[in-house]
This record gives sequence, structure tokens and C-alpha cells, in this order.
Amino acid sequence: MTAGNPLSNQTEKVAFWAAPAQAVERRTAAVEAVVMRAWEEFLAPHASQGLAVLAVGGFGRCELCPRSDVDLLLLMEREEPAAPLRSAISSFLQALWDSDLRASHSVRTVQECCAVHEQNIELNISLLDQRFLAGDQALYGKLAPGLARFFHSQRQALARHLCRLARERHAKQGGSMYQLEPNVKESPGGLRDLHLVTWLSQLRNTQPDRLPIADCVPELLPARDFLLGLRCYLHLRAGRDSNALTFDLQEEIADQFSLDAGGWMRRYYSHARQIERAAERAMESVDEQSSNLLLQFRDWRSRVSNAEFYVSRERVYFRGAQRLDYDPSLALRLFEFVGRHGMRLAVETGRRLAERLPRLAEHFTSRPGDLWPSLERTLASPHCALALRAMHQTGVLAALFPEWQQIECLVVRDFYHRYTVDEHSLRAIEALTSLRDGDDPSRRQFADILSEVDDPELLALALLFHDVGKAARTGSHVRESLVLAGAAMDRAGVPAGKRAQVMALIEYHLDLSAVMNSRDLGDPGTARHLAQRSGTLEFLKKLTLLTYADISAVNPGAMSPWRLEQLWRVYVIAYNELTRELETNRIGDETAAGIPGAGKFLEGFPVRYLRTHTPAEIEAHMALEQRSRDRGVAVDIRRENGFYRLTLVARDRPALLASLAGALAGFGMNILKAEGFANRNGVILDTFVFEDPHRTLELNPPEVDRLRLTLERVTLGKLDVKELLRNRPTPGAPSKRSRIHPAVSFDSRASDSATLIEVVAQDRPGLLHALTSTISAAGANIEVVLIDTEAHKAIDVFYVTWNGKKLTPAQQDGLRGRLMAACAPDGKP
Amino acid sequence: MKKVEAIVQPFKFEEVRDALKAIGVDGITVTDVRGHGRQKGHKEVYRGQEYQVDLLPKVKLELVIADARLDEVVRTLTRAARTGKIGDGKVFVYDVMDAVRIRNDDRGESAL
Repeated sequence: MTAGNPLSNQTEKVAFWAAPAQAVERRTAAVEAVVMRAWEEFLAPHASQGLAVLAVGGFGRCELCPRSDVDLLLLMEREEPAAPLRSAISSFLQALWDSDLRASHSVRTVQECCAVHEQNIELNISLLDQRFLAGDQALYGKLAPGLARFFHSQRQALARHLCRLARERHAKQGGSMYQLEPNVKESPGGLRDLHLVTWLSQLRNTQPDRLPIADCVPELLPARDFLLGLRCYLHLRAGRDSNALTFDLQEEIADQFSLDAGGWMRRYYSHARQIERAAERAMESVDEQSSNLLLQFRDWRSRVSNAEFYVSRERVYFRGAQRLDYDPSLALRLFEFVGRHGMRLAVETGRRLAERLPRLAEHFTSRPGDLWPSLERTLASPHCALALRAMHQTGVLAALFPEWQQIECLVVRDFYHRYTVDEHSLRAIEALTSLRDGDDPSRRQFADILSEVDDPELLALALLFHDVGKAARTGSHVRESLVLAGAAMDRAGVPAGKRAQVMALIEYHLDLSAVMNSRDLGDPGTARHLAQRSGTLEFLKKLTLLTYADISAVNPGAMSPWRLEQLWRVYVIAYNELTRELETNRIGDETAAGIPGAGKFLEGFPVRYLRTHTPAEIEAHMALEQRSRDRGVAVDIRRENGFYRLTLVARDRPALLASLAGALAGFGMNILKAEGFANRNGVILDTFVFEDPHRTLELNPPEVDRLRLTLERVTLGKLDVKELLRNRPTPGAPSKRSRIHPAVSFDSRASDSATLIEVVAQDRPGLLHALTSTISAAGANIEVVLIDTEAHKAIDVFYVTWNGKKLTPAQQDGLRGRLMAACAPDGKP
Repeated sequence: MKKVEAIVQPFKFEEVRDALKAIGVDGITVTDVRGHGRQKGHKEVYRGQEYQVDLLPKVKLELVIADARLDEVVRTLTRAARTGKIGDGKVFVYDVMDAVRIRNDDRGESAL
């Protein structure tokens, strides 16, 4: 007596592929015959004592794969069976195991079957698929109406439990169907999700007087056949209940269809995606029927609805999707909305978009100029990862960027990657954005760097395209990615400066990983190499974050604490080198001679100057220097993206920087960034980026001229900055919680001729003036200055000399206390 | 049989792996580890703050080989991992009593 593996020869394997539904029914029938024989032999004599055997789970559904568990329910009249019956049940199960069947049984009374089992909801659910096999018909006659009433009365609670279990299962399976080696039963989009759709449909249609019927949704039948055939193959191949679709098996199966493994896996993903969407839709409708506190909160959130979109139960809907027909940019505004509010699209909204994808693709291919401003806002939004995922799931991302389509469901095998290329890219963006609200202390330092980056949207854009070249399989995906990303950005109208940054990020995206793995981090040559590749602190920060996100999205364990530490070391080494070379690496005669018209103006500026300024900016600086020759000073103030940029060229004099910072503070301006360089002839170029918190300049345009005049007079020593500061109100101290404790450090090894002073402090209006005045008052000269502000934290770097030499330890000690005092909120210790 | 356990600098790992592969050693177990020997970590400065890094990142390699190959393997390994500076790492050698290939119960050197 055996039903063990009746389908193991080649013909039977082919049968599974050709007609899987019929094959699993045949397998079920074969198993049923074995169960019935065992029943007759051991349990039939006891049937009169109130005993019946039911097929449940996959066996009940007539959907047994070759090595599936055989789920049985032994329905009893009484809770405690008599000893002879217990012994007979034992022999019955033994016989099944001896027949090479993995019997999984439970023994229950009718009352137990009709009660909610909070700790074992699976038991309740398995009864949705129950089927009478043999035994006491009268006993089963009591169960059927009881179950119908039970399912009808408990339908909402059971549906909620099912959704919870499904979400837990999805999370356990990595939260994505786009895994390179998925589990065809448990992964999102697997067979279990198909069962979920059927069960939820049964519960929705349940009636108090009859049991719900299990019917597969007709449009999912092809996907069901595909996955069933695949699961049978995996069982036969492994000789056990194994549902893992490994690389080896993918190749083996693809061979049978004369496809490469990647091409065949795209078939798998397309079927799994259908099931996943149906499961999402079904779970969403359960959410809609539920009513609890959380949902009341969600309804409250629906106040963010506007004229174009409304929110219901945390899902976004179009108010009028037909508007898309004459205003396709509504689709882009939809994703801006998702990115801003962090709410997912309703399935209905996705369907509306899907209906219009060809029209959207056509519109944005013919009028790409519409794309960038909206895309930029989406990429810069707090929930940009969610918005991009929604764009991807609805097909809009591929419609906007055919380049993206090339990596959809793309499998590129290596030992480390767990996801398809598109999924990896989206996860990388999620890793980046989750830094913002993550509270993991080991990642806080990376979160700090992210808060210092001016345009994080460029990072998201670079991550979106960094691997698009992998589809070409040329072995150098970076080069291909650059070509494709360049074309996509040109079409979308990404401004030249931003495009160049994204291209550089893509080009160097493997650099830091390579350094981590193959360079001696203790070698000064490594630091120089990193500084040279990064060019500026700003770019280094972006590249570090890109590397962090890229590694984090390889697999859940890829960014181990060990690797996190290595990446941080690489960042610190490069950061210190870039800060050090500020003063040490100067533009010499030869470099300056290479720039037409530069003359002596650039000689002596840090090499950094050339890296951080475009040729047009350098040209403007030289023009400013020309203008300054007559009066000894030239000032330029212009508005850029909500901030003001002040550029000033003049002959240097003691405490000039402190006076300029004081003049800006006197006008109520808040300095965000500053650079100050001096050339060999004692001409300085100072640049300040500042904000105008009281909108003084915006509301009173003549004030811009007054500020310019004031700066000129302060520079020429005709106006004492103390006069301007006398009546300024003192800003209030920040709350204790948000206060940043000041730190002042000195480093005399950082430069050949100057001492580096680094100050990190709570930012406040007038801080730069206080610091620079303190340094100047001590008789020291500021050679180079670099000021940056992140949120409320000021990070100021000064290269300082005293009579042309480095500061002595005693001078450093004296200055430290005074600088700490200057950092205090009110300028007093 | 001998078990060779080597602690090497992370940036030397690929070179060591390639050198071992070149002499026909394929079976290797690799772990990212942290530790220090006489080197005792170092100080790192970032934005004016000094951090003491006590445990430095290293890579641990473990391999089991036939007795006859010991000298060749250790020589290859140390040559590939050496920079001549403090922190290059260590190699430890142990006797192995037996080995079993789980798939087919091969034992001893034939299981390697």
C-alpha cells in the first residue's frame, strides 16, 4: 500500500508542466485511495462511535503536490476517545506514514471546530477547505450547518486574522516578491497568496445557512497553473516538500523551455505579480470593512485630501481620473502627493493609471520638459521611496523612463544579491530615506551626513539609475548605466549642474566599496586617493551615502556592523584629508597659467577652489576682481533658490572676515555657508551664503543696495561693525534637548604652515562674527575658512597663523576657552 | 590533517584568496571579525572629537588541508597577507582529528 511518489518518472514530470491542475487532482485521488484503505482497515469499525475523517487544507482543495502534507481532520462525537479508538487512530496514522505520506492530523469535536482559536487560526481557516471523506454522516451533518453559521458570524474577525498572518509571512519572506531565489509557496505572490485571495472571497460571500464555495478567480487561473506546475516540479526534484526556487533549479527549468534563466524568471515574476496584486486588493477590501480606532485615525488623516486627490482609509484616490486624459501631468502630481504625505495608492488608483499608461508614455516622451520640476519635488519629498515604489508598481516609472523597463524583474546572479535589479534599486532608496527617521545609534552618523546634504533628491535619482546598465550584460554596467542615465536625464530636462553630479555619483558608485575591500586604510596614499576621487566634502558625503544605501540593499545582512564601521572609517579618512589639503594644496603658477585670463588672481587659492567652482563662476570672480581694483573692494549679492549669495573681493586686512560676518549679522542675516581664501598678493575672495529670516531684503529691495554699501564701507574700514551690532536683539537659547554642545579642536599636523581649528556648535545669528572676532582679537590671522551649517549645527573650519607661524600649545589653550565662550547661546559662557 | 586559521587585514583578503586558489586550495571559510593584537587599536579624529578605536576590523580565514600541504599553504598565505607593517595579522595551525563529508560520509583527507 503506497502513494509515496507515484509521479516520479519523466512522463509524469511532463504531465505536471502540461496540465498541472489535472495532475494535482490525480495526485489527490491517489492519496485519497490510500487514506480510504487505511480508514477501512483501522477506523471503519469505530465509525458508529461518532467518528468521521475529513480532508482539509490542500487535501481538501484537491490540490496536493507530490510531497505536500496530507492534512486530515478526525471529527469526534466526544472529546476523549476510548482507549481502543485511540489505538486505532494511531494505527491509521502509522499506516499513512508507512505509505510514505506526511499525514498532518488534528482531532476535534464539532464544538471545537466552530470556535475561534486565537492561537491557531490556521485550524479555523483549514476548515474553509474541508471535504468529507468517510465515517459518521450524521456527525458530519451536525458540523456543516454549525460551520456555516460560524464562518458567517466570525467572517470579519477571521479575515483580519488572515490579513495579519499574510503580512507577517510577507515580512518573514523579505517583504518582496522580487527575490532572486523566491519561495513559490510562501513568498509574496506565491501560492499561499492565491489561497488568501480565495479564502477572503469565501468569507466575504459566506451565508449563515450554507458553507462558502472555494473558487479561484478566473483571471488568476494561468498564474495558479504556472505556480502549481512549478511547485510539483520542485517537490519531485528535491524528493521532499521544498518550495525554494534556487539558481540551479531556475537554470534547469529554463533549459526545458529553451530560455535563459533570467528570461524564464521574468515569466515567474509576471505570474507572481498578478497574484500579489490580487492579494493586496483583497486585503485592502478587508481594511475598508474594518472599523476600529486606527481606522478612525486614518480617516482623520484624510483631511490632507485636496481638489485632485482624496484619501480614504490611508489610501489615495483620484477625484476624477478621467482628467488624466487631457492633463497627464496629474499622474506626476499624484506621486508628489504620495511622497509628501506618505500614503499608498488605492488599488483602484493603480488600475486607473494602468489603463492610461500608453497615453502617459506618449505624452512624456513627446513633452519631457514637463517631467523634471515635478519629479524633483517627488524625489526631494520625505516619502520619496514610497512614491517611487508606487510609480514602479503602477508601471508609470517604466512609462516615463524606458531605461528603467530594462531592469524590471532582471535577475543578475551573484553570491550576495538577493533581489532583482529594480527591487535592489528601490530598496537602496528606502535604505537612504529610512536614515532620516531611523533611531539606530550605529547609523546616526550616516543620518547626520544625510542632514548635511543640500540636494538629497540627486542621491535618489542616482540610486534609481545606478544599475540600469546591468541589462546590457557587458561586464561593465557602470559605463552602460551612465549612457542610459544621461539619456534619461536629458529627456527629463535635468539641469546641467545636477545632471553632472548624478553622473559623477553613478560613475564612482563602486569606488568606496573597492577601497573598503582592497586598500590599506592606514596608508596615507589611500587618504590622498580618496580625496582626489571625491574632490570636495560635499561630493564625499553624497558618495558615502550612496555606498551605504547600495550595500544595504544587496541583502538584509549585507550592511553588517563590521561593514558599517569600515565605510565610516573610509569616510573619516577622506574627510580629514579633504579638510587638511584645504590649506596645504595651493594653486601654483602652473595651474593658474592653465586658466585663460586668470593672471595672478588665482595663485595661492586652495586647489579646492577649482573643484568647487564652475568655469563661469571663476570668470565672474575674475570680473569682480577687475572691478575691485579702482575702489579696493567689489561686492556682488544675488538671490538663488530662496537664499542669498554674497561674493566679495578686496585687499585683505586684519579682522576683515569678522567684520563682514558682523555686518551680515547686523542686518539680521543668518550665515549658512562661507568660504574665505586669500591669494599670494593679499587679495581675498570671500563667499557667504545666507538666509534672510525676516524677509528684510525681499520686502525692501533698496535694502540690498544698503547692505552692499555697508559691506563696502566695513571692508574699507570706514564703518565700525560694532555700531551695526549694538541694537541687535540677543537670540533666545535653544531648548536643552536640542542644544548642541560646542567642541573646539586644534590640529597643527593638518597643514605645513597653519593650525587647523575646527568648531562644532549650536548655530545662531552672529556666531561666525563671534568666532572670527575672537580669533582676530587674539592676534591670529585667518588664512582659510570654511563654514557649513546643518539644521542648527554649525561646523566651522579655520586655518590660522600667528605672525606667519602655527599656534603654540599655550596659544591654543588660551584661544580654546575664549572660542568655547563665543559658542555659548548668548555669546557668553 | 591540519586546520589553518589566519587573521588578516581586510584589504589583503582578496589577494590571499586568489593566492590560495592559485595553489589549488578551494575550500575556505571566511568571517568578518574585529580584534587587536599588540597593535592595541588607534585614535581617530573626526570633527574635533577624538575616538579610540580599540577593536580593528580584520578578516578570519579558516581552512583544513592535508598535512603534506601545510608549509606551502602557510607560506603562500603569509606572503600574500604581508605588508611588513604592524597589524598584518597572525596564522594559527591546529591538528585535525577527522573530517566527514556530510553528503556521502567520506572521511579523512578524502572528505576535504
